[in-house]
Formats: sequence, structure tokens, C-alpha cells
Amino acid sequence: MSSRRARAIVIVISTLTIALLPLVVQDRFLLKIFTFVGLNALVVVGISLLFGYAGQVSLGHAGFVGLGAYTAAFLVARLDLPWLLAMVAAGLVTALGGMVLAVPSLRLKGHYLAMATLGFGELMTLGFKEADFVTGGVNGFSGVPFPSVGALVLDTPQQLYWLVWSVVGVALLLAGNIVASRPGRAMRALHGSELGAQASGVDVVGVKVRAFVLSATFAGLSGALYASIVGFISPSLFTTAASVTFLAMAVIGGSNSLAGPLLSVVLLTLLEYLDALVPGISRTTAEVIQAYQADIYGLAIIAVILFAPSGLAGMWRRTRSTV
Amino acid sequence: MAELLQFVIAGLKSGSIYALVALGFTIVYAATGAINFAQGEFYMLGGMLGVWFVSLGLPVPVAALCAVVSAAAAGALFELAAVRPIAGGDPLRIIIVTIGGSVVLRQLALHLFGPDELTLASFTPGPSIRLFGAAIERQTLWIWALTLVAVVGLVILYRRTAFGKAMRATSLRRDAARLVGIDARAMVTASFALAAGLGALAGLAVTPLTQTAFDVGAGIGVKGFSAAILGGLGNPIAAVGGGLVLGLLESLAAGYLDPIYKDAISLIVLLAVLFLRPQGLLGGSGKEKV
Amino acid sequence: MTLLKVKDVTRRFGGLVAVDSVSFEVHEGTIKALIGPNGAGKSTLFNTLTGFDRPDLGSVTFDGTELIGRAPRAVVRAGVARTFQNTQLFNQMTAVENVMVGAQAHQGRGFSAAALRLPRAMAEDAESGREAARLLRLIGIDEWSGTLGGDLPAGIRRLVEIARALATSPRLLLLDEPAAGLNATETAELISTLFRVRDSGITVLVVEHDMGLVMEVSDEIVVLDRGAKIAEGPPRIIQKDPAVIAAYLGEEEPDDE
Repeated sequence: MSSRRARAIVIVISTLTIALLPLVVQDRFLLKIFTFVGLNALVVVGISLLFGYAGQVSLGHAGFVGLGAYTAAFLVARLDLPWLLAMVAAGLVTALGGMVLAVPSLRLKGHYLAMATLGFGELMTLGFKEADFVTGGVNGFSGVPFPSVGALVLDTPQQLYWLVWSVVGVALLLAGNIVASRPGRAMRALHGSELGAQASGVDVVGVKVRAFVLSATFAGLSGALYASIVGFISPSLFTTAASVTFLAMAVIGGSNSLAGPLLSVVLLTLLEYLDALVPGISRTTAEVIQAYQADIYGLAIIAVILFAPSGLAGMWRRTRSTV
Repeated sequence: MAELLQFVIAGLKSGSIYALVALGFTIVYAATGAINFAQGEFYMLGGMLGVWFVSLGLPVPVAALCAVVSAAAAGALFELAAVRPIAGGDPLRIIIVTIGGSVVLRQLALHLFGPDELTLASFTPGPSIRLFGAAIERQTLWIWALTLVAVVGLVILYRRTAFGKAMRATSLRRDAARLVGIDARAMVTASFALAAGLGALAGLAVTPLTQTAFDVGAGIGVKGFSAAILGGLGNPIAAVGGGLVLGLLESLAAGYLDPIYKDAISLIVLLAVLFLRPQGLLGGSGKEKV
Repeated sequence: MTLLKVKDVTRRFGGLVAVDSVSFEVHEGTIKALIGPNGAGKSTLFNTLTGFDRPDLGSVTFDGTELIGRAPRAVVRAGVARTFQNTQLFNQMTAVENVMVGAQAHQGRGFSAAALRLPRAMAEDAESGREAARLLRLIGIDEWSGTLGGDLPAGIRRLVEIARALATSPRLLLLDEPAAGLNATETAELISTLFRVRDSGITVLVVEHDMGLVMEVSDEIVVLDRGAKIAEGPPRIIQKDPAVIAAYLGEEEPDDE
């Protein structure tokens, strides 16, 4: 079987599984978990473009998730704007934020971007806490209405699940098209050799900035969706720890791949809710896993970098090429 | 006037702490060309280990020494285990590994010492010292003294000893250093140990005033880096200057504007310096090539 | 006709003068070699010609337009392509993908067009693929087209890098030690490739230590020593130039600088 055909089959099967899941799973809590998987996937798809393809590290993407979440929440709940308009606005605001941060810092060496995004993330957390007239401060922002378009209100777990995964689907399609063609080659090229990319006429800064802005926009949309699905947001959701988690998911998922990071998001997000998913698991086991979740991420990214630098995707590519 | 003096004292106090952490960044940067994102965690370890050694019944000076030495050993161990295998490769990988390392160290501290804030008695108990209407806590004097000793010690180490000359040679050209018989890899390990030790000293000295907890590392890491980049990353003395300037800015902004600016200042300084003058305000010219 | 005019280019690093007021011209349709002992400043000069470094003084005009101050991408788009002494291939990409990156030099970044699979973007992509395949055939390495850059042997890496540079449709090709690491057969193939490149109308400026290659391919030679030009002329004259011989006598093995 050709690898192209195998790929197509895997894509069709996973799309069908994800699309039909709510028909099989009726449990509200489980559906909510799978919805969260989708929200994380949206962020990580963007980070994979940035990290896995263009080779840039961001430690502040939770800041963009938060920026999108608060923007959407404020526009819908306080200014009574239509939900769809608020989503678009949240996307635009985070895109703009991404550009403001990326343009100056991407002219510098890679580790400066990591530090600048870390600083940005911390500043955003501080802002979410202190600008309480907009954000509600540490007590959070509550009362964000459900997504709605005209008279149609999406408020059942099934509808919300489908909403989130359709957005993820569109994002994956766009990202997949990008990596499969010219800009994707440019990103991989500048990651492979920045000198070589420059000498081949790649607009190194321009490509990095676009990858960054796109990933920030995906993160912002994820935050905006989260706000309207859960109805409540608070600064503790958008910390540097969350940024590191997103980055870890992308690192473990692997470079030059979207499928690897997608798999990694699904597995790692579900790990957090293991007790709800696996019936027989004891309460203490679940608690231990939760207590050591961050350890797992930390050790896993070190192990991946040391022993399998291309992550899950690289391991998969290797097994296929040796078979 | 007394108010201003009080703010200056507070600024120089936190500034000294930032200076020590910043020194750690510049030392590792000089040896590897990479930023150690785990630097703040050694500050955390210094305080936590200090509290733990005191709880074992050790007298404060011995506990302090043990804490700094153990943190330095942890730094060296981290370099040997995780950084050395990928040295010289894609710098991206070193960034990710030190980020992973910071998570692991923080979680380790959480599991070993618990989630609560811990504190340490002042090194020398007693009332604050009055000076022109301002008060200086005795621990602040300790912070200044220890910072001064560390900086002077470092200068002597770098200028006068064979070890220091080897470190400087390594930072200039690794291949050339190897030619004259310097083991550049050992120098990298030493730089991680030294940086971790300085961070731990800072974390230890400040714990009697601010308390400590497993999660203080990330915040101080950003501040220390802001200080280092304010000074230009390449230059240890400028990093100390950067630390003091940052401490003063924070203290004055918190005092005269609003306390919420205290934490925002270092982040704004960080972003402003990165965007406007990445070679640092106190450093020379010579912008780094992309 | 003069295609490239280098005038009084000087580059200092601290107290060291790496390139010292160097001037020469490259005529269209010729192969010119730039030679000199180790540390003569050849690679530094290359960097100043291609936007990777900026000289302290001097000017570089290409077909009448100034190149100094332009970014590498702008230099490539003006029609000057280069290779590196240490090959800079994209190791995680196949040989043909490497060359495709060069072929898209004159296209835009194309994020939105690619994301939406606009027909124009798809057509340009297909065109880049065809162009890359054609160049790999032209250079005679098309059997390697599906191999990852990181898995290619050293000699093939150099040739892929030349193909990538050619894919940017240059009028002037700068090669930095293309024969380093090649065996005798590969060097012979490189020489015929260089002639084919020249015959297709592309001007070549080559830094090279392999004197056999230099003498065989070049129409003119510029000799640098310690940053300064010490001789210029056709190969026969340069071979007998006492200053050149003296400069090379001091050196043991012509390796990299």
C-alpha cells in the first residue's frame, strides 16, 4: 500500500471517529473532556507550525489564549456584540498582538524570542490580574454567554464539541496546506539552515513573523472558544505553566509534522482525565498521575530532545522507513 | 528625603539579588552561547535547601554553605546529564532542555519540600538600623555583603586564576581554547555549577525577608534575565549594574506610582531592551548577527 | 560587459583588516576565480558581496545597481546566488525540496495563497518542482532527488547546493570552494558542469584551492593575500607572477581558511 494511500485512510478514519464520537459518547463530562482536547489541539497546531516547522520557541502562547478569551468575553458579555463578531475580533486582536511581539524579537537570535514571549506571557498574566475593570481580576470573568449565531444558540455538549472540532478541522486544513507547499518549505528551510535559506532568497524574518502570527491567532481563537463554552475565565488558566505545557505537547509530538503533535495533544490531555476515562482506575492512581503531570512533561521533553529529537512523528517516520 | 532613601535601599536590596541571578545568566551564556532557562530554579533551590538544612539542625552558616554547594552540584549534574549530550548542536534543543530542566527542578522541590511558603530566620537577628530616617534591615546588609563578596570573588577568579583565564578563553573561542589544552566541556560544566551557586546564594540570602516556595524560580528568572540583558549579556560587571538599575527602577516605580508596577517594570524593561537595544544599555555596540 | 564591479571594498574586524581596499571586475559570460592563501579574506569578501556582511568601505555594483546594504534575499532577487564553503543544505528536506526552495526565490511568501490552495499558488509550486527536477538532471544528480539532505554524501551535497543556487535564476553565481571534499571523478564532473553553466549565459565567480580546476576553468584570476589584491589576470600570467608565488610559498597546505 502506498504511503499516500495509507495517509488518506488514516485521515478519513480519524476524521470520522472525531466527527461521530458524540453519537456514541453520551456522557456530558466525557464530551466536555473531548471538547477540551480540541481546544488544546487548536493551540498546539499553531505552535507546531512555529516550533516543529519554523524552529522557533514560544513560552508565552497561554498569553495569547488569554488575550483571545478576555477579548471575546468582554465583547460578548459587556458590549453585547454578536458572538461571531467577537470571535473575529478576538482573532484579529491576538494576530495584532502576535505581530507586535514578533516583528522586533524575530530579528534576533532564537533564544531572544523565547525570552520575549516568556516576558510577554508573564506581563499578560499580570494584566489579567490587575486590569480588573475589564477582566474581573483574580476573581475571574463570569457570565460569558454560549456561542450563538442569530437565534441559533449552541448550548448542548454535542453542539459545542462539534463547533470546536470544526474549527480545529479548518485550522488543520489551512495549516496542512501551508506546510505542504511553498511557505512550508521556507519554514523547514530556515530551520534547517538559516544561512542556506537566506542564500536561497527566503524572507527569513517575514516567514517567521507569519508563522508566529498565525500560531498566535489560533491560540487566541482557542481562548475565545473556551470563554464562551465554559462561561468563566480567570488569570490562573493562562500562566507560563500552561505555555510550557503547550510547548511540551508540540515538542513531544515532533517536528515537521501536524499528525504527531495532534496525537500528542490527544494523549496528554486525556492523561489529565484518566480517572474519568478508564473505569477501573483507582482514585489514588489518578491523583498520583495528576500530581506528577508536570514532571512527566518536563522529563518527556528532555528525553525527546536527547533521544528522539523529531518526537513522535520522527519515531513513526523511522519505523516506516525501516519496515 | 527619608522616603526616597528608603526606596533606594529597597531597590539596591532586590537589585543585588537580581545581579547575582543575572551573573549566572552571563556566565552560562559566555561558556555556551545559550540561555539557561533553568537559572531561576537554582535561586529557588538555594532558599528551599537552606530551610531544609536548618531544619536538620545545622547552624545557619553551615546550612547556607551546604545549600549553595548542593545547588551548584545540581547545576553541574544537570549540565552533565542533559546539556552536554546535545552541546554544539541546534541551540533550539538547549533551550528546550533547560525549559524541561526548570520544570523538573520545580516539581522536585514541590514533592520534597511541599507546596507551602517557607522561611528562614535572619542570619543575625536584631532591630533594623536607622539611617537618616530610613530603616535598613540587618538581612539587607547581609545581602549586600554577600553580593559584594561574590562579585569581588568572581572578578578575582576570572582575572587572577588559571581557572578564570581558561573560562575566559573558552568564551572567546572554544576551538582555540581546546588547542591550548583547555577542556572546554569541563568549563561548560563549571559555568553551570558557578551560575547555579550564585543563584542559590541569592535565593538563600533573600529568604529571611521574602519567604520562598517551590514556584518562585520562573519569576526571578525573568527578572535576572532582564537585568542581564539590560547590561548586555556578554559582560558580567554590566550584568551587576543591570541588576542594581532594575532593582532601583522597580522600587521607585512601586513607591511613587503604584505597587502593581513592581513586577511589570522588569517585564517592560525586558521587552523594551529586546526590541530597542538588544546589545544592552550598558554593554558596548556590536549587535549580534542573526 | 562588466557585470559585477567591486570597488575599494574594505572590511575590518577590530584591528584586523580582513579585506583591504579590494577592487576588480567580473565580465559577463566569463568564469573568474578568486584565489589566495588561507586567511586571505576570500570568504569575507564573498559575504560582503552577498549581503551576509557589510563592508566598512567600498561599493559593489551588479549590472549598475548597488548591492551593499541589501539583505541576502534582495541580493538573490537581484540575480546573484551563492554557495557556502561549509555546505548549508536543509538536512531534513530531500534534495529536490532543497532545490525547490531556491526556485521559489522570486515568488512571494504565499501564506494565504497556500492555505487556501489558490490555483496560482498550486501552479507556481508545480513549476518549482519541474524546475528543481530539471536542474538536478542538468547537474547529473537526479538519482539523489528523493534523498534527505542530511543523508547525502559530501560531494553530492556540494552539487545540490549549486543546483539550489542555480534555481534562483541568477545571472552571477558565486561558488565558495565547490571542489572541497570532491574526489577526482567528481571534480571532473564539476568542471564540465561549470562550463555548462557558463555556456547557458551565467557568469561565475569561484573561490577555489584546487589549482588544477582553477587553471582549467577560469578566464581570469584575482589573487588575494592578507586581505589585499596582489595580482589579477589570465591563468598563464598568474602562474608566473612572482608575488603570487611568494604568497603561496609561505603556506603549507591549502586547506580551508
